[in-house]
Amino acid sequence: MSTTAFQQVLHEQRSALLTAWINHVAALGDQHGSHEHALDALLRSLFDDILGILERQPTATLTLEHEESLTLALRQLVGEQARHGSSASTCVNVVLTLKHLVSAQLVTAAEVTLAEMSWLEQVFEQLTLLTVTAFVAIRERQITQQSLSLLELSTPVLRLWHRILLLPLVGVIDTVRARQITESLLEAIARYEARVTILDLTGVPVLDTSVAQHLMKTIDAARLLGTRVVMTGISPEGAQTLTKLGIRFADVISRATLRAGIAEALLLVGQQIAPLEGKRG
Amino acid sequence: MKIPILRLERILLVSIQVDLTDNDAMQFQSDLVEQVAEIEALGVAIDITALDVVDSYMARVINDTASMVRLLGAESVICGVQPFVALTLVEMGRDLLGADCAFNLGQGLEILRTRIATRGDTRLSEDENV
Repeated sequence: MSTTAFQQVLHEQRSALLTAWINHVAALGDQHGSHEHALDALLRSLFDDILGILERQPTATLTLEHEESLTLALRQLVGEQARHGSSASTCVNVVLTLKHLVSAQLVTAAEVTLAEMSWLEQVFEQLTLLTVTAFVAIRERQITQQSLSLLELSTPVLRLWHRILLLPLVGVIDTVRARQITESLLEAIARYEARVTILDLTGVPVLDTSVAQHLMKTIDAARLLGTRVVMTGISPEGAQTLTKLGIRFADVISRATLRAGIAEALLLVGQQIAPLEGKRG
Repeated sequence: MKIPILRLERILLVSIQVDLTDNDAMQFQSDLVEQVAEIEALGVAIDITALDVVDSYMARVINDTASMVRLLGAESVICGVQPFVALTLVEMGRDLLGADCAFNLGQGLEILRTRIATRGDTRLSEDENV
């Protein structure tokens, strides 16, 4: 197998290409000094792998998933970038910069056949695809982690007073969360033998049909255990939406603020917050 | 036409005196709801003494407004339904005016005051205002 002009150029310009690429990438992402070393090593190994593939004999179909060291290096690189808040396009740009550098070299330096150019295209198309896939995978993992931690954080049932529970709802309520909320609420009602449960909706941004349905289920279940439900903190917009959707919360006390709701709950259990004797004002 | 909302301490009074267009009705609804939320009203009286005709749309608007007001934590009462209006509403469907009704504004306010007196948060605001 004789070396073609294409392979020769790649071979001769190898170190020049690498330096140019590293400089370009550094300018692209204005990396912080401390990470540059790790990034350099990653770029080097990635560069070797890519050139290794470019120097091969062109084949009709190309899949890069089997190139383990390349895939690994690319994933690490994308992971590094994603952690520092780069966008998907920045990551793809890193790869595309190398393509521009290589093709610039090829065009000026030697005669290159059409087949070789299309090979170059093919390799970098696959690389781009791989980069985007890696980026999406990393983002998806982040989102899953975040929603899991949100789920754990966001459904506390607080014991406000003897036989009064407070359930502050914050954020979007979907089916999974609604079930978890209902479960933990029922458990708490049973444990503390609660007579009144305050459901605070101040932190719920959107009240729509599905949210309302989940709420109704939670309220109905709580009522079956013999507790009165007080809803607080519904916004004017929320009240309008609920009513226009034809949703009626029968036998549920509704109060404008958590403050009023607490007072109502205290009245229901026959308690009162009163000023201390002799300490008025 | 904008419907004036009168404030009597923490009770809001609205008197509907002309037939409302769809836009007016929506405007009235959101104005009232905003106002209830802003002053944390304890009660709302909607007076329709001057209305000789209430169609099903108007009845729904009034009814919806009363439910919204209740969701925002205020008591609501509808005052001054005319005999003829009551007759038509019943013939159109029983649930058209599901909210509590009073004969006139005076009785409506009385109902509101009694109900507010039994609430927990009235006592609270008295305590805080000391």
